[in-house]
Amino acid sequence: MDPLALFTLQVLNALSLSALLFFIALGLTLIFGIMRVVNFAHGAVFMLGAYCGVAAQTATGSFAASLLAAPLAGAALGLAFERSALSRLYAREHSAFLLVTFGLALALTEAIRLIWGADARQTELPAVLAGIVFVMDEPFPVYRLLLIGAGGLCWLLCWLGLQRTRLGLLLRAASQNPTMTAALGNDVGRVRAMVFALACALAALGGALAAPLLSASLGLGSNVIIDAFVIVMIGGMGSFIGTVAGSLLVGFAQTFGNFYVPELALGMTYALMITVLVLRPGGLFGRPE
Amino acid sequence: MNITRRPALAALLAAPALSGVSRAQGQPLKLGVPTAMTGTWAALGAQVVRSCRLWAKTVNAEGGLLGRPVEFLFEDTQGVPANCLRKAQEMVERDRVNILLGLMASSEALAVMPKLADWNALFISSVNGAGSITAEAWVPNAFRANTSGPMGARALALWLRNSPQTNFFSLSLDYAWGRSSVETFEGLLTGIGKRSIGSVFAPVGTRDYSSFITRIRQANPQALYIALTGDDGTAFLRQAAQYRLFERMPVVTETVDMLFTRPAGDAAIGLVGGSRYSFAYDHPANNAFVARFRAEYNELPDTYDGEQWQALEVLRAAVLKAGATDTPSVVAALRDLQLNSIKGPLKIRGCDGQAEQQGFVVRVARREGFPVPAPEVIATFTAAEVTPACRASNFS
Repeated sequence: MDPLALFTLQVLNALSLSALLFFIALGLTLIFGIMRVVNFAHGAVFMLGAYCGVAAQTATGSFAASLLAAPLAGAALGLAFERSALSRLYAREHSAFLLVTFGLALALTEAIRLIWGADARQTELPAVLAGIVFVMDEPFPVYRLLLIGAGGLCWLLCWLGLQRTRLGLLLRAASQNPTMTAALGNDVGRVRAMVFALACALAALGGALAAPLLSASLGLGSNVIIDAFVIVMIGGMGSFIGTVAGSLLVGFAQTFGNFYVPELALGMTYALMITVLVLRPGGLFGRPE
Repeated sequence: MNITRRPALAALLAAPALSGVSRAQGQPLKLGVPTAMTGTWAALGAQVVRSCRLWAKTVNAEGGLLGRPVEFLFEDTQGVPANCLRKAQEMVERDRVNILLGLMASSEALAVMPKLADWNALFISSVNGAGSITAEAWVPNAFRANTSGPMGARALALWLRNSPQTNFFSLSLDYAWGRSSVETFEGLLTGIGKRSIGSVFAPVGTRDYSSFITRIRQANPQALYIALTGDDGTAFLRQAAQYRLFERMPVVTETVDMLFTRPAGDAAIGLVGGSRYSFAYDHPANNAFVARFRAEYNELPDTYDGEQWQALEVLRAAVLKAGATDTPSVVAALRDLQLNSIKGPLKIRGCDGQAEQQGFVVRVARREGFPVPAPEVIATFTAAEVTPACRASNFS
């Protein structure tokens, strides 16, 4: 294989992986940035998205329906969970959040096992997405291009939303100083609920997008949540631009690591994290806390 | 001690409730199944358990075994040898079980086997593949009704010998089983005059296989060997199909199992591999079993459904031949026992307890009447071709 073609393919592979990771890491960092909550259930929500997506596609026959159903289910779950459980805990210390979100992760996994069983679930991609394009004479799946596009679009919309809308302003304000934001007459509780629902919707959408590559299985959640935490640590807890950078770094490290040094690839991600944290303890774009 | 009296005496000492048939008439025959019901092998354990239940139902409907109803005791070992040893011992000592079946990991079987003589119990393997079970670790009270790992690999090698491809590349999971599978395969290649041009090991839990697919394309072998299981295997097959990898090279694997191929959907089409059991074996005994299984569970029996059923049929034949259920009588009846099983003619050879049976190679294909691509038999080898010499685990 031509070295340039090889490199181009690997860059595209890395971008598509980064895009998938971005969906889950972005929600994690939003929740942390605005609510100061580390959401251990985020991987389980990603997994729920994959199952909901597969179920929706099986029921309707439409892949687009799965990309609609999954974030809706994620948002509904996030909203219900924030209102019923998290909202009672903001006054308490942080360990309460760890326990409650970890509990949600366990409960969600068991609920999925009860509803869909222990076997993996999957559907086939529609023909138009199952095709290939030739990149320098090498076949590359159309679906991975769609992932890259979806990741880019999500980044653009979130950036515009945060920087250019009134809601974004409110979110940034609530992140920097919730007491002051509330004192100015804003309902911080509502902001938190919205953020949590949005973050869960993003994770679930990521799960639905990942399903055609991985199929919906019970191990899905615990697997991606570790990568997502690493990304958030690298980028800086709560930093939007840091999450973008972290997703790209981890995506490229894993893709190129798996190619050149597969035995060390898992370690490379952590080596990257340790290097970043030693040089910048708050992450690339984070504030030291 | 008089030789002829020894079995009866041993049986009396071991399990009064199970000894004399006449005295125990109507008492249930308890069979111990310490298997993995949770953990990594839970899905395989579920097959073992459901096959046992169906067999008990079938046998009891026909009046039981020697007039006694059969009853299974299931315990969860999670695939951990220490758990398995403890559960098996409890079954033997507390529940007076003398027949053990359905052990999941080879390491569990190897932990239990040295104890069998002390317990005056016997064990019939249905799942355990390690060659050593019928070689250096062999004990007189252990039998293997299933196809062993070396036997499965042998069938695949015999099939590959006639294939046009000469150079192979291997992809496997980076842990003990994956590495040994590739090592065995590379050894087989040398034995049949073919060549390995490289291998790559993916960490367990790899989700994105794109880099590995690129690596395989760069190596450009004539065929690919994979040793992947579970979610990893499914993810690889789906992604490789998306990259059209299978249009460039045939893919072979150690064992084709529907637990692995079903979630891959159409991506598994064309996959060739050894097979320990498949519903696709076209024998009257198997067709009857498949029909019974589908009627009960509305599903096709998978690898260990069939293997467990075969082990139970071996037990039934031995008990009927012995006319008793005590350990010495059944062990004696198992030696050189012959029967027509769901995999065709089968003989438990006396020297190491291995069941001599046919070897199969299957290919996953779209088949009429099945919702998902399913295996079909493409080659069958005789027992003599695929069974290693007595108490040997290789074919040197």
